[in-house]
Amino acid sequence: MRIILSEDNDILRKSLSFFLESKGFTVDQFSDGKEALDAIETNNYDLILTDINMPGISGMEITQYVRENIGSDVPIIIFTSSGVEQTELDSFDIGANEFIAKPISPAVLLVRINKLLKTRA
Amino acid sequence: MNNTEEPIPHNELARLAALKRYNILDTLPEHAFDDATKLVSYICGVPIAHISFIDESRQWFKSEIGIGVSEVPREISFCRYTIMDSHMVEIPDTHLNDRFKDDPNVTGGFKVRFYAGVPLTTPDGHNIGTICAIDHVCKELNESQRNALSIVAKHVINQLELRTKNIELDNQKKIAERAVLAKDSFLANMSHEIRTPLNAIIGFTDLLAQTELDTVQQDYISNVQIAGENLLLIVNDILDLSKIESGNLVIEAQPFNLKKTLKHIYKLLKVKVPQGIEFNLFLDADMPDFVIGDQGRLNQILVNLTGNALKFTEEGEVTVSVKLVDETEEHYSLRFSVKDTGIGIPEHKLVTIFERFKQAEESTTRRFGGTGLGLNIVKQLVELHGSEIQVKSKQNRGSEFFFVFHYKKAKHTDKKAESISKDKLGKLKILLCEDNILNQKLVRSVIQNFGFELDIAENGETGIELLSANNYDLVLMDLQMPVKDGYQTTTYIRNEMNLTIPIIAMTAHSLVGEQERCFDVGMDAYVPKPFKQAALLQAIKTVMNKDVNAVKKRRIDFSYLDEMACGDPAFKKEMITLFIEKIPAEVVQLEDVFKSDNHDKVKKLAHNMKSSLDMFMLTDLSACLSIIEEEAISGHFTSEAANQINLLDCGVKEVVKILNEL
Repeated sequence: MRIILSEDNDILRKSLSFFLESKGFTVDQFSDGKEALDAIETNNYDLILTDINMPGISGMEITQYVRENIGSDVPIIIFTSSGVEQTELDSFDIGANEFIAKPISPAVLLVRINKLLKTRA
Repeated sequence: MNNTEEPIPHNELARLAALKRYNILDTLPEHAFDDATKLVSYICGVPIAHISFIDESRQWFKSEIGIGVSEVPREISFCRYTIMDSHMVEIPDTHLNDRFKDDPNVTGGFKVRFYAGVPLTTPDGHNIGTICAIDHVCKELNESQRNALSIVAKHVINQLELRTKNIELDNQKKIAERAVLAKDSFLANMSHEIRTPLNAIIGFTDLLAQTELDTVQQDYISNVQIAGENLLLIVNDILDLSKIESGNLVIEAQPFNLKKTLKHIYKLLKVKVPQGIEFNLFLDADMPDFVIGDQGRLNQILVNLTGNALKFTEEGEVTVSVKLVDETEEHYSLRFSVKDTGIGIPEHKLVTIFERFKQAEESTTRRFGGTGLGLNIVKQLVELHGSEIQVKSKQNRGSEFFFVFHYKKAKHTDKKAESISKDKLGKLKILLCEDNILNQKLVRSVIQNFGFELDIAENGETGIELLSANNYDLVLMDLQMPVKDGYQTTTYIRNEMNLTIPIIAMTAHSLVGEQERCFDVGMDAYVPKPFKQAALLQAIKTVMNKDVNAVKKRRIDFSYLDEMACGDPAFKKEMITLFIEKIPAEVVQLEDVFKSDNHDKVKKLAHNMKSSLDMFMLTDLSACLSIIEEEAISGHFTSEAANQINLLDCGVKEVVKILNEL
């Protein structure tokens, strides 16, 4: 399974990648929203993980682009920092499949990912 | 031998007394004596030789070859005759000697055939023993051998004298050491006895000066204050000397503002400058603001030298100048000079002025005052800095004292000393353990001035009772108290009551090693008496803050990171390293954009940093960032955000320290 992870905090991004790779996923990681979107356009990912606040293009914009411009229904999980940023509702409105509030529990993330991939499969 | 009349020297009693004085009888063998015996045996070519001493009843051998016993009765000793004589007794063949031919030691026993004995004569003329050469065959010594034997005899006596004097010296040394100890404890006690009342004088004068006074009263009070400070200086001088002597004075290495210090000294002394004298301070334009060194001691040195210069100058000028003479990557070399146009010092006195209690003229003390300790302390302080004080002077023209200090460079930070105020401390409830009523009153007034509450125990025992009955934030502890002293009380509080309550020692001892002892028994701070109000408040603030930190001693929870790392220690380590590299720099960056009021950047950075801190479960620091972020979003920073950045900065430093120690 190939996952793209878009998160601008180094420590969190590297940790999540390491965690997911340990669980058998292939992870492409990006710290810039624009670069992530370029990768999504050229590659075929099974799942998209993206933070909302990103330099370049935000996670919301990525989601919107994937759904409207690319027309893909690839599962998207958005990371939010609750209270400060957009609400859960917003994320669902634009077509995200899940939202996870930071700090992200790796176990919860794994459950959600598996659920989404299973549904899709 | 049938001679019933035993040979007894005419001065036998005095001789025995002389022998006793050397304390040689029944001592262990000593190399010096054994060597002399061997020498006799070699020189005379005999198998038997000895050094012996004769008391009332026996001949005791200090050293012997070929005899094999440690003593024989005096009645059978050949040597009892030798000590009757002042010269060597030589019997080439005992069989031909009327006195000895029938002696049991000739016919049997040691089978003595040849005997040569020299009396061991003390400097006051007593024959206390002998040195002998003995053989089983007939023999005659030649002149050189006889001479040699006499010389060895003299050496043995010298050895005895030396031995006695060494013992005496040892005793004197012990007495001297005891005297030094007595002097130290005298100084300690005197300093205590003087400082206790001085504490009350200075403290109450300070309080009095803070009340409403008319100008005349103000003048009187300020005179009392100055006299009190001067008296304190003298007591401190004496204490410093005892500290220097015992090697217990340590030169500190703390960053301080050199220029500020010098200007402060200048201002302080400026008020004392008599009319008609120009007082200057010249600072090198290139000299650094900050250095690492001992501010207090530099202050002491310069105040002392400048004070002298002003005292001995009636007209002209006194100039303090500081010049940067060398600079390396790590050090500044600064030349400090105090120059005057005063009475000067005669050339032959240039060395002795640095000696204790010596001033240039015997009459100086009477004319100019002073303890005669100042320059000696200055000299030693300069030497403790690894430098040397030098002086140039011409009589009636003036003097210049100068020295070069090598200060380590300091990072350019003007850390503002926290202003002395009681904010944030709230209303503390303080317990004072102190037996002196004057000091109780003084501390009560000062503590009430600070706005704190104070209970007083007149000894440690009562202090412990109060402490178990009430809740206190802090204990002020006198060291010398009846019933239970400060050390015992603190030990009890720490070990029996298991309390971590901050304890500040307040003491007039100010003796070397005392501070360490206070910390050893578990006290948190130390305020010497007479105490300055500011110093006490600073100590209170320090221990109260320390207490808060101690309670919140941070423990980093790695469970989150561990979950992410799936138990891989290398990855965990990689993340820790990343944190150490990244986060402190980000805090600095955050401070920068905060200072430049860049709300957008602050918001983004704070937001981003939160994820890093969450990874290490630093929820309190993450909360700081949330507050900062919220303020940034609102577009207006208050002092709260600044506080949170400070907290964050301290917290991150602490975390990095802990991570580095892993």
